[in-house]
Amino acid sequence: MSLVIDQLNVRFDEHHVIHDLQLELASKEIVAILGPSGCGKTTLLRAIAGLQTYDTGTIRLNGQHIEQQPCEMRGIGMLFQRPVLFPFKDVLGNILFAYKRKKDWNMAEVNAIIEEMGLKGKESQTIETLSGGEAQRVVLIRALLTNPRLMLLDEPLSALDVDLRRKIALEIRSILKARGIPAIHVTHDPAEAEIIGDRVVHWNELQPGDDDEE
Amino acid sequence: MKSSVGHSVPVALYLGLILIPILFALDRLIFVTGSNPIEAIFRLDEHPLAIEAVQFTFLQATFSAILTLAIGLPIAWWLGRYQWKYIGLIRAALTLPFVTPTVVAAMGFLALINDEGILASIGIDLRNETGIIGSLSSSLGIEHSGHIIALLLAHAWFNLALVIRFVEPKIATLPPRYEEAFRMLPVGTYPSERLLRFWWPMLRTSILSAFVFTFIFSFTSFALVRWLAPEFWTIESLMAIEGGAAGIPGYREDVSLLVLGGATLQGIVLLAALGMAGRWQQKQSYEIELVSEHHARKKIGKPGLLQKVGILSACIFALAPLFLMVISSVRIRDRTTDSYRWSTEAWRYAFEGNLTYASVPDALMNSLFYAIGCLLVSCILGFFVAQTIHSLEEKNRPKIARFIDLLSMLPLALSGVMVGLGVLLGILKVWPALFSWYALPILPHAMLTTPFVVRILLPAMREIDSDYEEAGKILGYNRSQRFFRIKIPLLKPHLVVAAALSMAFSLGEFGASWILLRSGAWDTLPVLVDQLMSRPKYFQLVEPIAMATATVLMSMTFLLFVIAERFRSHQGGGF
Repeated sequence: MSLVIDQLNVRFDEHHVIHDLQLELASKEIVAILGPSGCGKTTLLRAIAGLQTYDTGTIRLNGQHIEQQPCEMRGIGMLFQRPVLFPFKDVLGNILFAYKRKKDWNMAEVNAIIEEMGLKGKESQTIETLSGGEAQRVVLIRALLTNPRLMLLDEPLSALDVDLRRKIALEIRSILKARGIPAIHVTHDPAEAEIIGDRVVHWNELQPGDDDEE
Repeated sequence: MKSSVGHSVPVALYLGLILIPILFALDRLIFVTGSNPIEAIFRLDEHPLAIEAVQFTFLQATFSAILTLAIGLPIAWWLGRYQWKYIGLIRAALTLPFVTPTVVAAMGFLALINDEGILASIGIDLRNETGIIGSLSSSLGIEHSGHIIALLLAHAWFNLALVIRFVEPKIATLPPRYEEAFRMLPVGTYPSERLLRFWWPMLRTSILSAFVFTFIFSFTSFALVRWLAPEFWTIESLMAIEGGAAGIPGYREDVSLLVLGGATLQGIVLLAALGMAGRWQQKQSYEIELVSEHHARKKIGKPGLLQKVGILSACIFALAPLFLMVISSVRIRDRTTDSYRWSTEAWRYAFEGNLTYASVPDALMNSLFYAIGCLLVSCILGFFVAQTIHSLEEKNRPKIARFIDLLSMLPLALSGVMVGLGVLLGILKVWPALFSWYALPILPHAMLTTPFVVRILLPAMREIDSDYEEAGKILGYNRSQRFFRIKIPLLKPHLVVAAALSMAFSLGEFGASWILLRSGAWDTLPVLVDQLMSRPKYFQLVEPIAMATATVLMSMTFLLFVIAERFRSHQGGGF
């Protein structure tokens, strides 16, 4: 198993957002979690990434407990709903943020993945000039270059139109599969879940004991 | 624990920098006078000039604020209502006076009102008070009314930008549908009713804020009072001139009372005014939703002749004193023949320092040294204080955050002279060796500019999306990597604005420097201008040399202003 989440509970004051959640991810598996808006999908991903504290439960990644690890040490990549690109850098500058030091730059790898994702020629463009789909591709490239142990996709295609969403969903799946990176993709769109996931699970199924899912 | 230490260090440093000199000065003055600060206000009459100074300060500040609104409101109205071709340029021209150092403003106005100036040539002789002004003085029974008019005009000139910056954006961004809806109602038929029942409620917070800030700046004005109305005293100018004798046991107790009571009174007035302006601005921020100014302007259309003449006159009013100051540096009066000639002789004298201890290059180097020192201290300290406040806000500790925020604004209620005297009487009592320390003026400059840095950076920090911080964490960056590679680049435009404004403020600072600069080798450009103007004018080049020196100071300040404006317009600014 690449990821095992056991009895995870998250509360915001009196609101029990995640209740005894159980989830297992096989090696190289992509799981799509389907659920309505506001049910707690984003909170789950943020808890796995280390951006959100939780009350009880355990999270193991590749057999290691990561509960005590700070976010930056977990080796997890994440795509947010809104692409987060740094406005003071161009496309290439944003991609190179994947490397902590200049001496780590692997330009051959960078150029290959830029070409693979169809962004060749756009390296020196400012980020304001990118379309929504291009911006998410830049974020995906940057995340992939960090060689993540797990990829979390928090509805990254929700702002795109239907055709583009389908196209990029296929691209994401193929690139994750090619690199063997396990991933959790959360969405409220069943079609998108079917395209990206090896397996689709409904939010309710993850919290068998929870009657009040909201 | 670690984070609370992290918070307390910059705040403690900041408080130390601001409060320690003031507290020591207070302690010393209380000891010398035997009165607490409030009692000292009631004993101000023991100084022969104090009551007169208090009265004049309130009167001139009130009338200056009224005159500024009278001139500024029509300009702001026209500017905000119509589509102007060169709106950026017009705004820059009208903002220029406000960033001008007060000494330069004084020189500009002296150039405007001098014997052969434009005003004198049309019969308005404010300097020698002949003709219309002389008749006005005798009919009203007010002595030196020409000087008072010159001072009020100079304050209006200096603060015009405040009215425009506060009021014009509100007019320009108000959704036209509000006015349209009001016009459809029976109460909106007549312009006077619209003005009273629609525009006044809509604009009053901005207008009152502009009034209060103009009042504050006029209340603490020093260089303009000193040079344009030399027969009158304000609390600030009297404290500056007399303050050197304060704090000495058994000697001139009236002066110690003047400084203690005057500074307390001034502090109370400034705090009250700032408090009121803060409340109005806060109220204004959630009043109504605004639209893009382009959209609102489009509804009204292009300006007519009256508006064009009005705006052109305003631009001429804003630029004329500065232009005339430059001209006066190369236009030399020959006193024997009473004629004028064009020459760069004054510039040569200024750069060689023939009439003063320091030459213009020396004074410029001193000014730059203090400005860079001030920039470093205020930007570093201001950054960490803003960071502390922001971090407390994020950790949901709003009360402590608001308390520190309030403390950070405290120096805004201190004038240059008050800070200068605070350092002189406070720190030097504890550590007299500082008196001969060349870098000493950096301290008051930093005290005065740090609150502005906090006010620029804090809103910028609040605006930064937390997604960037989270993206940095996800990419594996630790705290310091996120700070240097993400936070600092995101704040860079605001840091540049804060740095440029700190430097510009320090370069033009006059009150505190005038009190603390005791050696000719430390002279800054504003102090050099003041020294030159204080010399007897037997030598025909004295005034042109002062004008040349003021021109150098003006150029340096404008350069920094242009840098700040460039970054502000590209990235938006907090202050």
